[in-house]
Amino acid sequence: MSKLKISILILAVVLIFPASLFLGPRIMSPFGMGDIEKEILFSIRFPRVVVALLMGMALGASGAILQGVLRNPLADPYILGISSGASLSAAVALLSGIYLFGRFTIPLAAFLGASAVSVLVGVFGWRRGGLWPERLLLAGVGLSFLFHSALMLLMSISTDEGLRRTVLWIFGDLSMADWSLIPYGIVFVAAGLIISVSRSKALNALILGDEFAHSLGFSAHKERFMLFIAMALMTGASVSLGGTIGFIGLLVPHIMRFIVGADSRVLIPLSAIGGGAFLCLADLIGKSIMPPMEIPSGIITAIIGSPYFLYLLRRKDVLSI
Amino acid sequence: MSSAYKHPLPVRAEQALPLLELEAVRFMYSPHKKLINNLSFSVGNGEFIGLLGANGSGKSTILKLASGILKPSDGHIKLWDKPLQSYRNKDRAKLLCYLPQLLDINVPFRVRELVSMGLYPYDIPPQITADEAMEVVGLKEKAESYVTNLSGGERRRVFIAMTLLQGAGLLLLDEPLANLDIKYQIELLRLLRELKDEKNISIIMALHDINVAMQFEKVMLIKDGEIVGIGNPETVLTKHMLKEAFDVTIEINRSDTGSIYISYENNF
Repeated sequence: MSKLKISILILAVVLIFPASLFLGPRIMSPFGMGDIEKEILFSIRFPRVVVALLMGMALGASGAILQGVLRNPLADPYILGISSGASLSAAVALLSGIYLFGRFTIPLAAFLGASAVSVLVGVFGWRRGGLWPERLLLAGVGLSFLFHSALMLLMSISTDEGLRRTVLWIFGDLSMADWSLIPYGIVFVAAGLIISVSRSKALNALILGDEFAHSLGFSAHKERFMLFIAMALMTGASVSLGGTIGFIGLLVPHIMRFIVGADSRVLIPLSAIGGGAFLCLADLIGKSIMPPMEIPSGIITAIIGSPYFLYLLRRKDVLSI
Repeated sequence: MSSAYKHPLPVRAEQALPLLELEAVRFMYSPHKKLINNLSFSVGNGEFIGLLGANGSGKSTILKLASGILKPSDGHIKLWDKPLQSYRNKDRAKLLCYLPQLLDINVPFRVRELVSMGLYPYDIPPQITADEAMEVVGLKEKAESYVTNLSGGERRRVFIAMTLLQGAGLLLLDEPLANLDIKYQIELLRLLRELKDEKNISIIMALHDINVAMQFEKVMLIKDGEIVGIGNPETVLTKHMLKEAFDVTIEINRSDTGSIYISYENNF
């Protein structure tokens, strides 16, 4: 039963990948492509699909990790303020117009912002030799408000062009994707996935509570710390690849839990796969419905995903909260 | 619950040394709030001890100290004659298992998934399977149900099955009878007694029901983090000692047939 569902899911993902490559504002045939089409495929579409895949994977897996670590169904990589920190940092770079590191400037600024907030949240969440879920959550919410208001302040005093670029970036902008960032993205996302999947038994135990984790032979604080690092690596990579895309980190893990169950050993990889496929699909739709205008992927993910999530919530006789 | 349960641990030969030993253990969260004060006791192989005391007397704290979740502010805790803290987490988990009182779970694990977590400390699974453990607690038909859809008592049994599968020789159970129907209370006690008799498993169980405590061979009465009395129920659960521990006058009467009646009407 579950194996069948998982097979269908993986098949869907495998189909979405080529669809995102060959469909779009200009539908291409994989056979008999001209030089221009090859150029579009390899310089524009391919990197964009890979970036969408990486971001979606990072966010889906991060959400599955955080909802377990924080024992809270409302947790996602952004509730800890990581997106606000990354947005603020990226906005400073975008609005100042000073590109110290060329095309790497904005991704680097976002990554540094995300990392700085992760460290700050960790510092505030630390007590008596470990990270505590409630403290992490509250520290994240507090920091999130702080950075968000700083961002709003910055945007309210900025020029129109800078404002537009910042808003687009905050909604998740994949249009600038190229090959240059992809190797870094792969390294961070792979590291995060390897750490978290290798700790997925510990995450299952942590979901039951620290005392169960201890009794089952895990050091609760150490495991939580490692999982937090994995989440921070992936979320940082994701925001620097293409801005802050909502919904995936929060709701993809819930949708996957409805489909494949709560066991983190399955849930983390499938939330990654599901998140990646979903963002590819959202991006394909966003750039296809009214070309040459592009609707930011962050908006599409929420518009398609939320009704589906609500449908599952009504239909399934199991609460994931 | 049937006696078909096969415990995975090889039964250790009779050993002179105690399985668990607490020596002059103190524990405090802050200098002004002493929870456990100079506690010493040991648990032998195959002992089944009822831990009895009023709310806030320190029963749960004692079990958390004994399981290594809390570290004593002072004193020593030894497991098989080695300091408890010197064990690797996985190794300790094969010897000692702690079941908390509060089982709040809001994630839809299936019964089988949760019970199987008892095997996490093992690289090579022991002889008993999750199916057998679920059968022992009467939940085999619910193996594929979501834990979140079970009643409080059924959830309790899921965690008991997980504990059995973990197969430790020392079980530290915090109020395991809470939320259980009388039928399952009796069956759980019977099962644990079988484990003790057949596999020499040692159990410390926190309780608040004096009636249940009367069924134990050994009872430890706790007040303010200190032992008021330890021994068989006849000598420990006396009117005088119970008054000290619970601050209530409790009469224990034995009929000619050996039945025990506990009454505390005089307090009303």
